[in-house]
Amino acid sequence: MRPAQDNQGSFLGRISIRRNQFVDVNNEQEQEDLELFQKHIADRFTELLSPPQPPPSDETNTVASVAATEQIMSVTWLRKLMDVFLCCEAEFKAILLMGRDPTQISKPPFDRLVPEMLDRSIKALDICTAVVNGIDSVRHYQRLAEIAVTALEQRPLGDGNVRRAKRALANLVVALSLEDKENVSGGGGGGGGGNKTTERSWSFGRRSGGSSAASKGGATIGQLKSSSWAVGRNWSAAKQIHAMTANLTPPRGNEAAGLPQPMFIMSTVMVFVMWVLTAAVPCQERSGLANHLPVPPKHLNWAQSLIGIHEKIGDEWKKKEKKGSAGLMEEMTRMEKLGHSLMEFADGFHYPAEKDAAESAAAQVAEMAEICRRMEEELVPLQQQIREVFHRIVRSRAEILEVLEQAGKVSAPVV
Amino acid sequence: MAEFDTKLPVSGEKNHVFEACHHVVKALRASDNNLDANLRKLLSDLESHLLTFGIADTKVEDAGFSEIKERFKEAVKIIRSWETNHSTILEAGLSEVNQFFQALYDVQSVLVGFKALPIKTNQKEKDVYNQATVALDIAMLRLEKELRDVLHQHKQHVQPEYLAVSSRRKDIVYDESFVSLDDEVVVEASSHEDDQQISDFSNSDLVDPSVIPHIKAIANVMFACEYDQAFCEAFISVQREALDEYMVTLEMERFSFVDVLKMEWEDLNGAMRKWTRVIKIITQVYLASEKQLCGQILGDFESISTACLIEISKDTVLSLLNFGEAVVLRSRKPEMLERFLSMYEVSAEILVDVDNLFPDETGSFLRIAFHDLSKKLADHTTATFLKFKDAIASDESARPFHGGGIHHLTRYVMNYLKLLPEYTDTLNSLLQNIHVDDSIPEKTGEDVLPSTFSPMARHLRSIVTTLESSLERKAQLYADEALKSIFLMNNFRYMVQKVKGSELRHLFGDEWIRKHIASYQRNVTNYERSSWSSILALLTEKNDSVRTLRERCKLFSLAFDDVYKNQTHWSVPDPELRDDLHISTSVKVVQSYRGFLGRNAVRIGEKHIRYTCEDIENMLLDLFECSPSPRSLLSSRRR
Repeated sequence: MRPAQDNQGSFLGRISIRRNQFVDVNNEQEQEDLELFQKHIADRFTELLSPPQPPPSDETNTVASVAATEQIMSVTWLRKLMDVFLCCEAEFKAILLMGRDPTQISKPPFDRLVPEMLDRSIKALDICTAVVNGIDSVRHYQRLAEIAVTALEQRPLGDGNVRRAKRALANLVVALSLEDKENVSGGGGGGGGGNKTTERSWSFGRRSGGSSAASKGGATIGQLKSSSWAVGRNWSAAKQIHAMTANLTPPRGNEAAGLPQPMFIMSTVMVFVMWVLTAAVPCQERSGLANHLPVPPKHLNWAQSLIGIHEKIGDEWKKKEKKGSAGLMEEMTRMEKLGHSLMEFADGFHYPAEKDAAESAAAQVAEMAEICRRMEEELVPLQQQIREVFHRIVRSRAEILEVLEQAGKVSAPVV
Repeated sequence: MAEFDTKLPVSGEKNHVFEACHHVVKALRASDNNLDANLRKLLSDLESHLLTFGIADTKVEDAGFSEIKERFKEAVKIIRSWETNHSTILEAGLSEVNQFFQALYDVQSVLVGFKALPIKTNQKEKDVYNQATVALDIAMLRLEKELRDVLHQHKQHVQPEYLAVSSRRKDIVYDESFVSLDDEVVVEASSHEDDQQISDFSNSDLVDPSVIPHIKAIANVMFACEYDQAFCEAFISVQREALDEYMVTLEMERFSFVDVLKMEWEDLNGAMRKWTRVIKIITQVYLASEKQLCGQILGDFESISTACLIEISKDTVLSLLNFGEAVVLRSRKPEMLERFLSMYEVSAEILVDVDNLFPDETGSFLRIAFHDLSKKLADHTTATFLKFKDAIASDESARPFHGGGIHHLTRYVMNYLKLLPEYTDTLNSLLQNIHVDDSIPEKTGEDVLPSTFSPMARHLRSIVTTLESSLERKAQLYADEALKSIFLMNNFRYMVQKVKGSELRHLFGDEWIRKHIASYQRNVTNYERSSWSSILALLTEKNDSVRTLRERCKLFSLAFDDVYKNQTHWSVPDPELRDDLHISTSVKVVQSYRGFLGRNAVRIGEKHIRYTCEDIENMLLDLFECSPSPRSLLSSRRR
């Protein structure tokens, strides 16, 4: 990976020097800064679009799974995406604020653009919260998978172990294919007398109207889900993303050459990143998510790779949305596949285990264990990165407001 | 039931012990063929036990096996009987509980025994093993249900009646013009009244202590059988739900950032107030109890106990933290100061509890988040406090304040300041390193209280100095010098009264009070001079002609009418001050007039005298009554 951090350091340095030297006549330099910013955006997303390709190999091969770590939407890739966001954001803030006369960003059209941008950032905070919460759900899936792994690793494998694994797998598969709004009743009854509350998603289903139904294990997943309020009642990730794109149009005319351009780029990146996150993990209310991201014009150089990633994920989302999916995170997708296949194994299992079937199941169990291991290693750091993104957004907002306040133009609170 | 854990073999590691036992048994048999029947039975029992651990001699295997099989069959029957039974085993009584655990132990023995010697086993034994895995799974599932049911049925709540957020208190209502904070609003304000109650019920049990041993036994068994994940999942999900439910009892709603930023001040104020109480109850009482519960049940597995506590509380705790984060994003309005002060105060207070709740690495992200939030609240509170002064300084009026009464800015500021002594310690720590110009630069002989020179006191005096400057500017708007004096007198008097009548006096100090009393008294003098000097001068005659005397008398009446017409609209709200003013004016004016009339009434002639001394005296009482419309002189007082 390119050391983005270094780039950024020298970049900031150069901007500040130039601004100091050319207080008024910095048009040409600013233009150069903007181009550099666009180039960095393009480079970063290009790298995200084409990660090192996994060698072609059989699906059940564990080697493939190791190489797949960097694939689009894998947890590792998502963590890289967070890094990219933080780099872009730092660079953008330098362009917006460093060495700039505060009054410049309080005049039209910035008196409109800046508040709009700040408004978007507040919405992004809610998405961060929802996504951190969604990752908790993923960790719950991970634990279900771990139970299945533990059970299927028992030797000799008895009916009781398979029974236990089947229960965990049934819960896992149902949870993974659940769309948030879906009202699945009696979800995952295949657990063979399994207690239904174990099936509820970890962080959804906060409350079920004070009835003891949920707590007694009689509630359906649908009921539990509909009462979820991780962020706030009636909050919807899809609506939020949609609201973030309001007013988000490429600058035209002379605006296109100046500061409005990076503002547009940064806002696009922010909305895009938030969109990816909500698609990756379970998130409160996402219907129609794929339609909510307006694609930036193709002729813009910096946008090419971003559009590429957007198309890939968008296609995948549309496919998944039909049959229901908790999220597009690559590990979850594979977990779901493995889950189904292990379910088949479990359904056909007769003690004592048949040698061939047992061997192929063992390979799948090993792959599942590997996914669990990776999740165990990376989900919490991903959550932390998202918290970091959250704090960065908060800090930047405060810095921008402070500059505006200096400019003495903010008489009304910018919300 | 509690001894179950000690009975469970620890996954076949003690083979050498069993081997040794086995040798002892063999040696005993070989050494003596005349063993009595009891001992023989005992040895045979022992052997069959040893067999279950896989170390038994093959010669006795068949006999032992059939016995184990019998016992196993019995165990399965017991486990199966509970599979569809919906009441808890606990309810059925101790012997049932013991029976169930014993059955589970027998099943587990078969599994462990088989695993230790899997190669030697025949088909029949394999079948038993397979059945044992199923029986174990049924038992585990049953225990998971038992765990959920027992936790539910024996759940205890921190009594919500203590927790109802006091709605008696009114709050500062803010608007740009500082109009709202009136005297009566502040009377009931006191936010510390509930503290006592919180400490009264700390350390409550979330689950009936009598069922703890049962839950602990379930934990031990499930952990021993490698169903620890299932145990934790069930335990966490029940406890999480209970916490969610509790949050609903506390009426603590979740808000998105967008919500919080859009919220009307009144609603936000309520939510902030609630937060201040709820976060305290959750960290100091509820989660402390939760931690205790986790410790009681999972104390033998400390890291798991910690992880469970985090999983149970994380979601709720993060949502509470998020509310704090969101509030800090609001712009710093002076009216929010008190709420911020109490939020900050609580956030700092609970840090100790948070550190205790999440002491280790796994919980560090929560711990750090609390510390970060507290820091942010501190900064935000300080900034809000400092901004209050700016807001006062920038409060400009275009027109003179009607009637020269107490300006709403003065009311607002003073009543606001009155709320602050409650947060003395907090404010002192926040303002410690922030320099401010103080009107009392050094300690004087009169002021010996250290509180008078605390950072907070200096800042409060500085705020009032800013208020004074603002009032001076507002006073300049009056064309009438006398009204200007009345205005300043009224406002300074109000400030002094507020300081003297509250905790503020220890902060402002005697010197400040003395100076400010002098200041408003000066204004009284100024008023009398500018209002009455020229009028009373009319009454000082020097051998005037009758014509001049009549003219003087007429001019006095006209001037008095003028004063009367004006000053009856003026306002001196403080009754004591008004009385003083009436008396001192009366003394001067009536005495001069009486003297004048006494000397000259005859020469002037009654028909040329418009007012008697009594008229003047009575009419003077109408001054400063702030009457809404011009008084008709003749109708009100005239005979």
